[in-house]
Amino acid sequence: MSLLQLEGVTKRFGGLLAIDNVSLEIDSGEAISIVGPNGSGKTTLFNLISGVYAPDQGKVVFDGLEITHLPPYRRAHLGIGRTFQIPRPFGSLTVRENVAVGAMFGAHEHSMGVDAALKSADERLRLMGFYELRERPARELTPVEMKMMEIARALAMKPKLLLLDESMAGMPPKDIDALVQLLKGIKQKEGIAVIAMVEHIMRAVVGFAERVIVLYQGRKMLEAPTAQALSDPRVVDVYLGKELEQ
Amino acid sequence: MRGLEKYYPLLPVYVMYGLLFLFGHYTEGMWQAAALCAFYAALGQAFNVFLGMTGYVDFGYVAFMALGAYGMALTVANLYDVAWLGSGMILIGLIAAMVFSGLLSMVVGAIALRLRGAYFAIATIGVNEGFRFLLEGIKLWGGSEGIIISSKLRDAFGSDGASRLSTFWADTFVFLTAALAALITLLYMQSRIGYALTALREDEDAAKVMGVNTTKYKIIAFITSASLGGLIGASAWTLKLTYVFPADAFAIHYTVEAIVIVILGGAGTLMGPVAGGILYAALKYGLGVTFPGLQLLILAPIIIVIIVVMPEGLIGVLKAKVRGTVLQKFIV
Repeated sequence: MSLLQLEGVTKRFGGLLAIDNVSLEIDSGEAISIVGPNGSGKTTLFNLISGVYAPDQGKVVFDGLEITHLPPYRRAHLGIGRTFQIPRPFGSLTVRENVAVGAMFGAHEHSMGVDAALKSADERLRLMGFYELRERPARELTPVEMKMMEIARALAMKPKLLLLDESMAGMPPKDIDALVQLLKGIKQKEGIAVIAMVEHIMRAVVGFAERVIVLYQGRKMLEAPTAQALSDPRVVDVYLGKELEQ
Repeated sequence: MRGLEKYYPLLPVYVMYGLLFLFGHYTEGMWQAAALCAFYAALGQAFNVFLGMTGYVDFGYVAFMALGAYGMALTVANLYDVAWLGSGMILIGLIAAMVFSGLLSMVVGAIALRLRGAYFAIATIGVNEGFRFLLEGIKLWGGSEGIIISSKLRDAFGSDGASRLSTFWADTFVFLTAALAALITLLYMQSRIGYALTALREDEDAAKVMGVNTTKYKIIAFITSASLGGLIGASAWTLKLTYVFPADAFAIHYTVEAIVIVILGGAGTLMGPVAGGILYAALKYGLGVTFPGLQLLILAPIIIVIIVVMPEGLIGVLKAKVRGTVLQKFIV
């Protein structure tokens, strides 16, 4: 049985069809990249999975449970963690406390008290090479540091499925490679599925994903193993731009 | 955090309350001034549990104080001739005050806390005014004539006892309520409740996605804040004045004062409302004595200047100053 299943999911905003009849399946421990140009519906798809919106049509099933209309916090308890494209830190809390909030309120079977959560936040930050920033108020971080903190916060929730929304945008290539290695390690050790949404950083897609889903104008245009997807002429056409004429 | 160290931040708060109490008690003619400071500090602390920790502004807050006042008044009015209760009647009255305000806040919270920002504020003003007109309209609990309990207190406690109750014990209960509010605030801050509330104050949608059941935690803070307000209403109004009139008890300016105190001292801090409450009361009282009639005209610009210069409030600024020093553990 797959971990996450979307069946004919549709979401409209007024006249705009943001997500149009999308179905997909993700297995436990998979690494997926969802790619697509700006406005193709990627963030809407994440919002539908994490519960920020409910779909107009279709069904969302997670871990054998229909969650189509569950509020976001219930989905978090079941094991869905996410980051945001524009980071949303709890600004007045320190980095450590931000991560601890994830540990305190995340997946229900792992939820813990304040002291244990702060301790596990320390471990998590050390693992991510972030420990020296732990007492810094989150609002004082740089955007890239905020993105790293959000990943740490989401991982502290002990999710079964981690949704990364443009987490690598704006990072230097060296950091992207390091983050990809880190995610691979965590994925392997903790067995979580990761869906990374990427607009244009092919480095991350190639290095990380086993499978690629291409969204275009709210529809699933293609779903294929990474190498195959990136060489598909349609993908090259709509997404990467036309090949240069020889 | 280890053992006693957790409670260090209570020390400066309780020292302030203790000094204020002793100053009022042993300085001829200053008891009323001290009681006024305690009233505003308690009001600030009770209100801060909700406004400071969640960032939501409840413009109908005074309704909870009013219901607490009625809880006490109705208890005395109905039980004053049950001789064996003795001072137990006051205890029952305080519990009734918390139950009354707690129940109303549960109902209001379950509905209004689904709204955000300005919509929540508007809905809560409606509750306050609506409840007052309901009492007056259907002549519930004495209607617009209210409930007068002075003679009943004399019957129950004799005239010396009744006078001691309204001139000393009523104010002392306010001090105790303030101390209780400080303790609850600190316990909340250091528990999952505090983290949940701070997270939702900073970013409610992000908090939800992180697994915080935001409605549940907002309601916890709302009911706590309301019940403490009920205790203040029961002591500072019913027991002290020995009557409750709806026009006084539902007066919206108390809500406004509570907001000013919390912002002045530092929203979401433990010491802030204490400092804000005492400063506000002292200014109001002092200016009332020195410039009678003009006190509000002078008070307003002073408050505006403080808030502009220190948007984080008095304690917010102090907290930033002591970060990294030994005092850090005491100022929260």
